[in-house]
Amino acid sequence: MSNIFARTISLIMVSVFTQNAIFDRAFGANVAIYASRKDSHVIGFSIGITVMTTLASMIAYLFDGLLLPLPYGDLFMPLVYVVIISLLYVIGLFILWRGFPKLYGKVKKYVHLAIFNCAVFGALFLNSTFGKGFAGYVGYGFGTGIGFFVACFLINIANEKLSSDKIPKIFRGYPIMMIYIGIISLAFNVLVGYTAEF
Amino acid sequence: MAESKKRINTDGLFRQNVVLMSGLVTAPIIVAATTLQRSLVLTISFFAVSYVSILLCRFISRKIVYTVRILLYTIVAAIMFIPTVIALRFLFPETTQEVMLYIELMVVNSLILAKTESRFYLEPYGKMSVDALIFIAGFAMVAFASGAVREILSYGTLFGFHVCEPIIPSAKSPFFGFILVGIFAAVCRAVVGRRVSSRKGRSE
Repeated sequence: MSNIFARTISLIMVSVFTQNAIFDRAFGANVAIYASRKDSHVIGFSIGITVMTTLASMIAYLFDGLLLPLPYGDLFMPLVYVVIISLLYVIGLFILWRGFPKLYGKVKKYVHLAIFNCAVFGALFLNSTFGKGFAGYVGYGFGTGIGFFVACFLINIANEKLSSDKIPKIFRGYPIMMIYIGIISLAFNVLVGYTAEF
Repeated sequence: MAESKKRINTDGLFRQNVVLMSGLVTAPIIVAATTLQRSLVLTISFFAVSYVSILLCRFISRKIVYTVRILLYTIVAAIMFIPTVIALRFLFPETTQEVMLYIELMVVNSLILAKTESRFYLEPYGKMSVDALIFIAGFAMVAFASGAVREILSYGTLFGFHVCEPIIPSAKSPFFGFILVGIFAAVCRAVVGRRVSSRKGRSE
């Protein structure tokens, strides 16, 4: 039992720091930049992505075990993951619509951005490589969401300064944001002494 | 008037480039486009998955609610992924395996999920097919630029041919990808700004 707990915690730490979705893999970097513009978006997107990566990882564990050992099974994984996430998306929307109509009205415009993005899908694909066992899948999925929150928070606190008049006009906004994320990504790599092989 | 109707809209190349201006598709460029061959594989897969999906999904009725339409778009893209990867594995077996994760992620790229609704499906079919192709060309342009710069810097080669000694081996790292895309984006803004001001000057 303690072994499973330790493995789960270790995979959460790995997905938050060592293989942060944004800084190490650039999964959902555009969504993180969009979400970081408002404090409420940071929280909303992070909750949405964390819930989705955790639940989807649980379901994906069952299908990975069935399909991945088959020849050409990997070719069908995107389709399987799309179906899993679509089902969770529809169920989530239904629960919001019926249970929290005010919240549904607020989030319905951008909820698909929080669900159908590289951070959620990337977590599922990486799970098949790193997430050993059910607890591992859950840990990696949950950690990816937390890693997304950490990244969003770090981008959010710099957002105002990076959009200020002190930045040369052609670099203001998106270009300087990418350079800033690059520098943080470098810091994360140095922190863990690890580089993704690509 | 007729002339302006016939003119091809090249927004997708610079002014609304999916990597440099709107940042809709960045992950494959930042992490995976580290050599020209990888850039080629990414471009082919982006074309096959996104472009064909955009053309096919146009036939999905707009009477279907938005929530369900988005799901159908991703399902079509996930189906397109299968023949794309089979073909790429036959043509570039090693490189395809290296960048596989980023080919898989193209199923949910924002060109399919966002641009279709906000731009492509508001245009007539013919115009849309050219417009979407130009957006793909914009992606290809950045992919090859990133691939060329990073291959020379990190490996000292170009398409596998020796050019010089590796100058910055870490150029293949994601952090360098972020910084390079940021610099490219600034250059792209400068080019767009200059084009707009010269156009204004001509019209005055």
